[in-house]
Amino acid sequence: MADPSPETGLLDGYRPVDAFDEAFDADGSARHGYRHIVERFSGLDAAELKRLQRLVNEEFRRQGITFTVYSEEEGTERIWPMDLFPRLIAAAEWDELARGLSQRIEALNLFLADVYVGGGEALSDGVVPRWLVVSSGGFERNAMGIRMPHGTHCCIAGIDVVRGADGRYRVLEDNLRNPSGISYVVENRAAMAKVCNWLFYDHPVEPANHYGQMLRSTLESMAPAAADAPQVVVLTPGIFNSAYFEHAFLARSMGVELVEGRDLVVDGHRVYARTIEGLVEVNVIYRRIDDDFLDPVSFRADSTLGVPGLLGALRAGTVTVCNALGNGVADDKAVYPYVPDLIRYYLGVEPIIDNVATYRMWDLDHRRQALSRLDELVVKPVGASGGYGVLIGPHATADELEEAKAKIEAEPREWIVQELVALSTLPSFAEERLEPRHLDLRPFVLTGAQTQVFPGGLTRVAMRRGSLIVNSSQGGGSKDTWVLKPELAAVGHAEGELR
Amino acid sequence: MILARHADALLWAGRYLERAENTARCLTYAADSIIQLRSDEARFDGEKLVRTLGLESELAEAGSLESSPQLVAFLLSDRDNAGSLVSSVVALRENLRSVRDRIPIELWEEANGLYLRFPFLGHAQAESRGLHEVLLMVRRACLAMSGVLNEGMRRDEGHAFVVIGRMLERATFTVALLRSDLPGAGNGADAVRMLRLTSSLQAYHRQRRRDPDPFDVMQYLMHAPDLPRSVLSCVGRAEECLKGLGSVGPALTRSRRRAGVLRVRLELGETVEGMEAEPAQTLDALAAEFDDLALEVQSGLVPPLEMTAVRSQYVRPGAAGVAAGVWPVGTRDRPR
Repeated sequence: MADPSPETGLLDGYRPVDAFDEAFDADGSARHGYRHIVERFSGLDAAELKRLQRLVNEEFRRQGITFTVYSEEEGTERIWPMDLFPRLIAAAEWDELARGLSQRIEALNLFLADVYVGGGEALSDGVVPRWLVVSSGGFERNAMGIRMPHGTHCCIAGIDVVRGADGRYRVLEDNLRNPSGISYVVENRAAMAKVCNWLFYDHPVEPANHYGQMLRSTLESMAPAAADAPQVVVLTPGIFNSAYFEHAFLARSMGVELVEGRDLVVDGHRVYARTIEGLVEVNVIYRRIDDDFLDPVSFRADSTLGVPGLLGALRAGTVTVCNALGNGVADDKAVYPYVPDLIRYYLGVEPIIDNVATYRMWDLDHRRQALSRLDELVVKPVGASGGYGVLIGPHATADELEEAKAKIEAEPREWIVQELVALSTLPSFAEERLEPRHLDLRPFVLTGAQTQVFPGGLTRVAMRRGSLIVNSSQGGGSKDTWVLKPELAAVGHAEGELR
Repeated sequence: MILARHADALLWAGRYLERAENTARCLTYAADSIIQLRSDEARFDGEKLVRTLGLESELAEAGSLESSPQLVAFLLSDRDNAGSLVSSVVALRENLRSVRDRIPIELWEEANGLYLRFPFLGHAQAESRGLHEVLLMVRRACLAMSGVLNEGMRRDEGHAFVVIGRMLERATFTVALLRSDLPGAGNGADAVRMLRLTSSLQAYHRQRRRDPDPFDVMQYLMHAPDLPRSVLSCVGRAEECLKGLGSVGPALTRSRRRAGVLRVRLELGETVEGMEAEPAQTLDALAAEFDDLALEVQSGLVPPLEMTAVRSQYVRPGAAGVAAGVWPVGTRDRPR
């Protein structure tokens, strides 16, 4: 049964661009679970949608769900716009995605344990070049020999996945250090449920409010063996950090203390928090500050954010810091092309989710191939994040391409080049109508004694027409992400609505 | 368990909440009464108000008061004046923001909402509103926050510190108010002013059933056991909260004792006699005792000596980080 394309209202004239549209087929009919959503949005007018959008913004502003923009003096606390048209993921599709993500994190944890405590077997066997690992900015010599409970170096991961024109998910980037955004996943859902509760009728959706419990039990399972009732804390740089809202959210939803470096002290290789009763021992630290700032004794001496002597306590095994030190070596974009091989090497299976096709600039053949058609490809610096320094070939000028070529030739280790992925699109509100906008997805994977994937994740959307950059720092927005419960998928299948 | 830094932020949130309410009440009084006075009277009354709020040095920096609108601007929207209403609203929000993981969401939303709606902050939605509208908004927000504190917050250590902060601020204000109204300090005591500035006029009327007499009003505001703003009530509640903290360090234990002694002296009439014989000295001594109590509570929250000693083992003398986490102690404003 094909759904007729809506002919009136906000979706009138909606035409998918040259990409996979999540909501509409190429012939313009609504896909699988989207039928009801499309119907309901077709029944709205622009004024009503603007009103709802304003309600959501007010809700965010009142609750202070904001991020900080460092470059602006006035009004440095900004809300991150959420588009009301949700992203739906069918149960079976999610199931496969979650299995693929778990598999990837399992392999990456094995790799990290191998590099830091296992003697580097994968490097000896030539799966990843040793020089590439030790030259990585994320490789941390101080982490050598620090054993993590369950061999879990990455407890909290955010994996960026995208969907290309063929409709298949691919991993674009691993974030294994301090992935942020989970608070928006939870708050987006809460805001949607308040403002657009009518959208949820007929859509059994996996809940998105239990992240706190999941994270807490994950972190508790990471406590050193000697700790009976482990004391877990979240370590934040403080209220002026751009993600402070998220840090407070995490502490609140777990019911643990949100500490700053100045609240902690190390004595006799044990970490204590300063309370009104005196010093209380801390067993697990979910740190949201970077490696460099963790301990001024071992890292940056000018940092006042960290805890002097923390590294000694880590080595003594009295405290666990999550994520572990030195995870940056595994989410280095130069190591990324080897992850599928690492999955094969450690797990002996084929990867469920592929990488985006990537050229390694330190490999002469790859470099030659890529440089010959750079205008069709995407150039990325291996050390940057947040979309900074990315050059999209088809959108670049001849000068920019020449400059990129020169930089690559000068420092091949610092660059990768990828095939351009036409990110999938979804209807998103633009001025007066719904138009296709590109998006990606960051699911969150928690690993303690076992690996769990939080249902859904953060859908980031580029708000400008044709833009492929979805980062919040570059003017992107977000969407609520619904993982549909299996019942609906089964019912939909019976009606022949699934693809 | 409560982090000492969180206890400190909650203590100061309590103080700023109370201070915002007091300043709003003073501004309401200024708008109602002072504006109708002759300019010399108005200046005199304005300066008295500034003394009541303990803002003499802030005023000296801002320059003298030439007109009533100047007084209103100084108390309402002067960001350089640490005791202005806008400064309190900003500081209240900042302190609550640093503990937002452990306070009721509604408390944070109310403080954040007040900050966002408050004009003169340069927000896009700021529009010139009537003074009364702004003051009404502030007082309503303060009442709403008090409501959440009373009905929506578990009686844990965090709650105790908010109340201790409020009570210290409130007692300090009441004592300063009485001091500013003593004969010799000016035209003589204005009984109605004292009652209005403590929102106690109606209570006084119902209880005493006579025209307010300045001396009686002073005793009333000092010793009435059932008046929430009397000095005795404030000390009693602060003591109760300090007692409820359970196991604490030595400084907080001392402050508990100090509050207890102060309450007993008020209850047993020592200050009644003092007010009869030497009111100015009695009030000065009382103000000093509250300062000491506040200092003692505060010193229970700064890092214990051993912590500083442990930290300093790791850091080269004179290097950045030695003093991290050590705050200077002060009572008027939260050290930054």
